[in-house]
Amino acid sequence: MPFVTWLKRHLVVIAGLLTLAYLLLPNVIVTLFSFNKPKGRFNYEWQQFSLDAWKQPCGVADMCGSLSISLQIAVWATVGATILGTMIAFALVRYRFRARGAVNSLIFLPMAMPEVVMAASLLTLFLNMGAQLGFMTILIAHIMFCLSFVVTAVKARVMSMDPRLEEAARDLYAGPVQTFVRVTLPIAAPGIAAGALLSFALSFDDFIITNFNAGSTVTFPMFVWGSAQRGTPVQINVIGTAMFLVAVFITLASMVISSRRNKQKA
Amino acid sequence: MSTLTEAPPPLAPAEEAEPPRKRGRFTPYWLLLPGMLWLVVFFALPMIYQASTSVQTGSLEEGYKVTWHFVTYWNALSEYWPQFLRSVFYAAAATLLCLLLGYPLAYLIAFRAGRWRNLIMILVIAPFFTSFLIRTLAWKTILADNGPVVHALNSLHVLDLTNWLGWTAGDRVLATPLAVVCGLTYNFLPFMILPLYTSLERIDGRLHEAAGDLYARPWTTFRKVTFPLSMPGVVSGTLLTFIPAAGDYVNSELLGSTDTRMIGNVIQTQFLRILDYPTAAALSFILMAAILAMVTIYIRRSGTEDLV
Amino acid sequence: MTTPDNSGDVRLSGISKTYDNGFTAVQPLDLTVPQGSFFALLGASGCGKTTTLRMIAGLEEPTTGAVHLGEQEVTHLPPYKRPVNTVFQSYALFPHLDIFENVAFGLRRRGIKSVKKQVEDMLELVQLGEQARKKPHQLSGGQQQRVAVARALINHPKVLLLDEPLGALDLKLRRQMQLELKRIQTEVGITFVHVTHDQEEAMTMADTVAVMNAGRVEQLGSPADLYENPNTTFVANFLGTSNLIEAEVDTENGDDIVLKAGGGKLLLPKARCSAPTKTGGKVLVGIRPEKIALTHADDAGEIPAGRNRLTGKIADASFIGVSTQYVIDSPVCDELAVYVQNVERDGRLVPGADVVLHWSPAHTFGLDATQDIDAGTEEEAAA
Repeated sequence: MPFVTWLKRHLVVIAGLLTLAYLLLPNVIVTLFSFNKPKGRFNYEWQQFSLDAWKQPCGVADMCGSLSISLQIAVWATVGATILGTMIAFALVRYRFRARGAVNSLIFLPMAMPEVVMAASLLTLFLNMGAQLGFMTILIAHIMFCLSFVVTAVKARVMSMDPRLEEAARDLYAGPVQTFVRVTLPIAAPGIAAGALLSFALSFDDFIITNFNAGSTVTFPMFVWGSAQRGTPVQINVIGTAMFLVAVFITLASMVISSRRNKQKA
Repeated sequence: MSTLTEAPPPLAPAEEAEPPRKRGRFTPYWLLLPGMLWLVVFFALPMIYQASTSVQTGSLEEGYKVTWHFVTYWNALSEYWPQFLRSVFYAAAATLLCLLLGYPLAYLIAFRAGRWRNLIMILVIAPFFTSFLIRTLAWKTILADNGPVVHALNSLHVLDLTNWLGWTAGDRVLATPLAVVCGLTYNFLPFMILPLYTSLERIDGRLHEAAGDLYARPWTTFRKVTFPLSMPGVVSGTLLTFIPAAGDYVNSELLGSTDTRMIGNVIQTQFLRILDYPTAAALSFILMAAILAMVTIYIRRSGTEDLV
Repeated sequence: MTTPDNSGDVRLSGISKTYDNGFTAVQPLDLTVPQGSFFALLGASGCGKTTTLRMIAGLEEPTTGAVHLGEQEVTHLPPYKRPVNTVFQSYALFPHLDIFENVAFGLRRRGIKSVKKQVEDMLELVQLGEQARKKPHQLSGGQQQRVAVARALINHPKVLLLDEPLGALDLKLRRQMQLELKRIQTEVGITFVHVTHDQEEAMTMADTVAVMNAGRVEQLGSPADLYENPNTTFVANFLGTSNLIEAEVDTENGDDIVLKAGGGKLLLPKARCSAPTKTGGKVLVGIRPEKIALTHADDAGEIPAGRNRLTGKIADASFIGVSTQYVIDSPVCDELAVYVQNVERDGRLVPGADVVLHWSPAHTFGLDATQDIDAGTEEEAAA
């Protein structure tokens, strides 16, 4: 009976950890298979250990080029969406104006729309306008779908901000610009950063909308998609593993730094 | 504390923060203009173009004209209704699985993880940074025909059951509905976990103690206290899972077969390969309308209107 | 101080505030706070006291009227151009800046380069020298409060505004900070305008108290004056506790008015009656609970002549150490409060006992009977 009691008490924990395993299993496989030396074109079956791919991460034609395109698009999309989204968020929280409902739904709808619908409709627009599909059209699309996420993240932060802080700044001789730069912006920064980070991740990883509007430009997800048809080089797994490790490392490092800083000051 | 905050009652916080100065009257419009313009031109306008395309006739060579050719809708629906139904069914199954799998993990992070909370959070989010296509391809390895998973399912006679249900075929999992639903579940699981966690985390732990004190067993506490309070998370989690899953074509393409094609696959093929724009636009329009209708009804019925 | 004496006067002339939604927070109001005084605006939530303060600070623009600081009109000046600083409710310390930078904020905004010495001195004054490099959330409530005061005072404002500055502190700390604020005010000699809903706090700290209700100043005066001579039922009930008894004017007798209440007669000095009196008219008779003496009905004969008397029955008695608080049901009024010092306790004064309440007519005050008799009581404030 003690075992049954123990099981009952920890059922949630066990189920949760199983889900976590389900979430992480593909990453384990991706990492493992980055050390594989496959026979044939596809890297789906384990053959033998090899460091070849790690030694030559750009050894596959066009892959690193597509990676660089994806990074550029992600950076610009992040910058664009963050600036535009932050402005909208401030307007929504700080001011009263007409058509607030319309603005809110126009921000909500892109998040409630299947990607394929946005992708297809945007393509009809570009075709109708006779636009040249490529880097610019991808960037336009990415800014579009990242915007709403930035607005949501920044809005949450600005809304939870005590309006008295800005009053205190104005009371202490800071004019409107100074108040914004010295108080509002620094306090809203975590929300803006969260929005920017989300934008980067969404843009970098987007496939469906990009696939419709890319023309002959090949982003990294499109390269992976193509390789699923033609043959998957091991280098894909190297990139995937490296990205995962960098992400975990950066988050852990920032956590350690911030907790140490708090300890020092306490 | 309400007696301490002495604000004039029915005012928006904005009004308190920024007393009306004549100079600032147009500020909100300037702030909104660029972003809203972007959304109008590249989100709303395309929807209109798409609606118009769907009632055009013509050919690529001669160009298209609006002829109010609503027959396209009828043709599209009568030809592709199985894919529509399949999309709804797969997405619903994946959403349900996400809820069943995600809830314990969100609960674990919110109430039971202690000092491991941040680490588990990172492990939930970090996979996002590996391209989802790469991770989806990994399922090809995991579910491979002679891999350990299929072996185990086979020897436990689970496959016999799923075969009987029509989820799998023969000794395979890959290229079956089960694989597609499994991939969809995997891909959108974090979108379920994060909102669930957010609303669970807000629940005061003392409520559990209060419920226990008032003679509720753990399971009753969950049913009567925890779950109802986490409803906002459940609603936004299911929406964030169902909507993208219903429009997805990546999982079906990579893990499924021609028998598991979803509506996203059809739209993609019509648009990018067959170049039958009116049909593709009509399908996309139907999908959009169907999703919006479902979402609206769902939000109304669950009573959580303020998701944004 | 090189400035002339009246430069720290705050003069409000006819200012009012009506919000866009039509809610009038402050009715046209005239008020002068003299240089160097500690002035309290006292009232319940929503009475307009904070709005008044915010109009002085420049955080709200008055709908009508003008605000003067000394000779200078500042009605339409933005807050950052006024020589006025505020200690905000719940402090509003900048969470992203450390204590040093919070205190230095105002100096830096005015372009003062070398702030180190001033800030350090200021932090010493509020006994926070050690905490300079901490973030606000790492300090206790009392320490945060002191930072907020330092951050405002370092700018040498002409007027310091305090918006419920002690509201977030626990009782003991609040007492301590009350004394400390009072000390700082005496030391720096700046005009303090203090908004609070806590009548005890206002009376402890301020030289002059303005009691506000529904956007108007009900009465203005020194704490003792307000307590002893309330002009309205609101002030009588809001400041401390008052027993208000409805009575009818009988005759006038020299400097006193003779009133009929129940079967008996009560005397009220004319000078202490703020209501118009004519024979047969109604007046509210007020008496503070600690002014009443209690005698068991058996000893009624021993009560000296010339005192106001009422009979009643003890409904409840609670012993609270320095005094015993009785609730007494009398034919003229239910639930009269009587506080008796525990000097010589009469064992017969227990619930159910018949008693006589008596007090000196000089302690009686008279109020206009057309007012709401319960205005300003706690029950009403909670509603």
